[in-house]
Amino acid sequence: LKVIIIGAGEVGFHIASHLARENKDVLVIDKNADALRRVSDNLDVQILQGSGSSPVVLEEAGLRSAEIMLAVTNSDEANLVACLVANIVSPATKKLARVRNADYDTYHETFREQAPNIETVINPDIEVVKTIHGMMKVPGAVDVGEFAEGRIKFVGIYLDEHSPFNQVKLMDLPGQLGGIRPLIAAIMRDEELIIPRGKDQFLAGDLVYFITASEQLEETLAVFGKQEAPLKSVLIIGGGRIGYRLAALLEDEPFTCKIIEKDPAKCDKLAGRLNKAVVLCGDGSDQNLLAEENVGDMDAVVTLTDDEETNILASLLTRRMGVRKCITRISKFSYFPLMTTIGIEQVVSPRLSAINSILQHVRRGKVLSAMSIKGEQAEIMEAVAMETSAIVAKPLRSVGVPKGALVAAIMRQEHIIIPSGETTIQPDDRIIIVARREVIPQVEKILAVKLEFF
Amino acid sequence: MHWRHVFKVVGVLTITLAFTMVIPLLVGLFYRDMSVRPFLMAIAATLAGGIALYLAGRVDRSAFVSQREGMAIVALGWVVAGFFGALPFYFEGEFPTFVDALFESVSGFTTTGSSVLTNIEAVSKGLLLWRSLIQWLGGMGIIVLGIAILPFLGVGGMQLYKAEVPTPVPDKLQPRIRDTAMILWKVYALITVAQVIALWAGGMSLYDAVNHAMTTLPTGGFSTKNASVAQFDSLYFDLVISFFMILAGINFSLHYQLLRGQTLAFWRDSECRFFLGAVLVLTLVVSFDIWRSVYATMGEALRYGLFQVVSIVTTTGYATADYEQWPAMSQLILLLCMFLGASAGSTGGGMKCLRIMLCFKFCYKELFSLIHPRAVTHVKIAGKTVPDDVLRSVLGFLALYMGLFGFCTVLLAGLGVDMVTAFGAVAATLGNIGPGFGMVGPVENFAQIPYLGKWLLIWCMLLGRLEIYTLIIFLVPEFYRK
Repeated sequence: LKVIIIGAGEVGFHIASHLARENKDVLVIDKNADALRRVSDNLDVQILQGSGSSPVVLEEAGLRSAEIMLAVTNSDEANLVACLVANIVSPATKKLARVRNADYDTYHETFREQAPNIETVINPDIEVVKTIHGMMKVPGAVDVGEFAEGRIKFVGIYLDEHSPFNQVKLMDLPGQLGGIRPLIAAIMRDEELIIPRGKDQFLAGDLVYFITASEQLEETLAVFGKQEAPLKSVLIIGGGRIGYRLAALLEDEPFTCKIIEKDPAKCDKLAGRLNKAVVLCGDGSDQNLLAEENVGDMDAVVTLTDDEETNILASLLTRRMGVRKCITRISKFSYFPLMTTIGIEQVVSPRLSAINSILQHVRRGKVLSAMSIKGEQAEIMEAVAMETSAIVAKPLRSVGVPKGALVAAIMRQEHIIIPSGETTIQPDDRIIIVARREVIPQVEKILAVKLEFF
Repeated sequence: MHWRHVFKVVGVLTITLAFTMVIPLLVGLFYRDMSVRPFLMAIAATLAGGIALYLAGRVDRSAFVSQREGMAIVALGWVVAGFFGALPFYFEGEFPTFVDALFESVSGFTTTGSSVLTNIEAVSKGLLLWRSLIQWLGGMGIIVLGIAILPFLGVGGMQLYKAEVPTPVPDKLQPRIRDTAMILWKVYALITVAQVIALWAGGMSLYDAVNHAMTTLPTGGFSTKNASVAQFDSLYFDLVISFFMILAGINFSLHYQLLRGQTLAFWRDSECRFFLGAVLVLTLVVSFDIWRSVYATMGEALRYGLFQVVSIVTTTGYATADYEQWPAMSQLILLLCMFLGASAGSTGGGMKCLRIMLCFKFCYKELFSLIHPRAVTHVKIAGKTVPDDVLRSVLGFLALYMGLFGFCTVLLAGLGVDMVTAFGAVAATLGNIGPGFGMVGPVENFAQIPYLGKWLLIWCMLLGRLEIYTLIIFLVPEFYRK
């Protein structure tokens, strides 16, 4: 399977790295020689210097023999033109493009049906805003993901020292929980991801990921002592594309929303387009401004400027002023491991979410959706079990699920089953699997979904 | 400044006016009344005047119209039209002095509806029709009419249009200004015809129906009866006229949208909602106030309350009741209605709902920035930001309006008029309403105002119709500087 990636920026780099690790043939095109060098120095992929919108370059890259082309440069226009040219050079190649301008939002379908026939238009801004919105709806949680059209929730919470589950072994959990049975999918401890077994135990400071049916979410959170009053007031720092989208989304809901932006021209534009939100012109890390606007009394702060240092600073600052919840936008992946150490719990990354959606579309076969969790050490996938697959028709215990992977939930028609060793998967069940990065190829093998890339 | 070009355009407009006088002349001939001779004289004089003006400016070949020239054409056009329009009144001899005839004519063109006639029914039918016709012409605007029918005004038409229809946010319905003007006039004529039919079907004579329709749609208010609409004493006529007054008080581009099939046009426009809401609330308040204190039943209170509120707030000025006998609160509400006025882009006068809305929103914005000193806020209408220059001109307009109101009131009182009358007369003429308070109340007229006072009120009417800026600009020395 051959994949051509146009744009060797952060997104292009990380997709290339994922795909290369999964043994795909990857070719990266970029104009910038330095960016390409970084790719070729670190990854086992081919590189080509030139413009991704040039038919000559695309021919040279062997577009005709490629199944997938990803246009993920920083420029919407460059991506669209690259797809248009690619559509002429090689109509059979599937094309995916990253397009972020909100004006294109309603045209994604049109792009698919008409030239340039882009299979999927990816706008990470939409995903990020959805993620932030999900986090705000579950204030006690650190990370929230959705599967099976929102019927299954994947939630991460921190265990603090006072938690009743401190030092409890997983196998003893059902006794303590009573009726509800969340499935503990993963534990992050000291930057290490653990797919837990029965004899693993919880420790204070763990970030615990569990999977639960949506309607049991509240109860489950209550058991863990993480049920909190809903958020009502939100401060957004940074009025760029994502900040605007979030504010516009919150306008339709019972939130009071303030938004701080440094650039007066952008403020003007925001004030013109937003009707309820209060637009403030100033620096998000300016203590006077924050005090003047009574930030300490607000429920949540979302820092979304392009400058992650400002975001981190503003989050720490507002946290100290008494804000209950801070969501911080981080772009550099190298910062992720530091966040917990400096006390920032909730992080969003448009790039990570772009990578997630692209991977999900690349694996389109029978994998319905996928999401990376903190630090990209593991992935959660939703897939359909096929008749031919090794996982079907025997008890899970004897399937040989690799160590480091876990079948977390099964959806059979309308029922959600939290599986045990005795559970048997039937054809056409939808299964949710948590897997560490390095065992993903093995998981694909047992699913036999394997490599049903298109 | 190309004065010759201004003269040329005004000359053509005057010649057009002479032709419109043929209509009342024919009516006069039909009824064989005494208006035939005055009209023949007036037509001759107007034609001569128009041709003279045209010849004075003939040598100028420039087609470009600057904003300044646009204002000069419109201002001069209105003054000249008022002058020549007064000639039939003067020649018939019903008016003691020329200033009375001029007052009546300007009151007509500006759609004010204030009259100096004590016995309207004694006037010949041809002349009464002329009186209604000039209101109808003035309502949509004589310059807009000129743009629609005179092709050579197409160039620079936008400057003229802006000077005559100075809404805060002008809407151009068509790419070409000429087509826009044509559409507005067609819509205007169509609704007028609808009202003629509605009144005629209710049993009014065709002559009265035509006259009343022609003075309802421009929110003018001249009636052919001494006691105005009260003379008919018919619930049906009250309701029909109220309905058409409300229509006339709504932005005509909304009527156009409605006729094009956008059924929700009224509801989607925030100014229209404000206007209709104001009419509803004020009617209910006034009706409650006059219920029992003036009228025995709620039905009667509603009937007269509605008509009076609508008549004043749309700046029409018909009367079915003497509101000076009403409680103080209702009278004050009606006085405030004189300032509120109808919608921008309608034929009504006053300050206009849109400006009042913008003013309220601006005040709220100021309060808001006291609470959030660093907030960036915009004044918005229907989710769209109102540009700062529009806002500034609106606030400037409101300040000028109130300033002029105060100044003219003092002047009028200085001429020996009592306080209530001075207030009422200036408010009624500046807002192009018609009846005021005191000596110029709904059952009286402006005949008692002193000679110089009539001159003053003539200017008030013109200032109100042209929304101040177009006329007052002539007082600014900078205007004449080369």
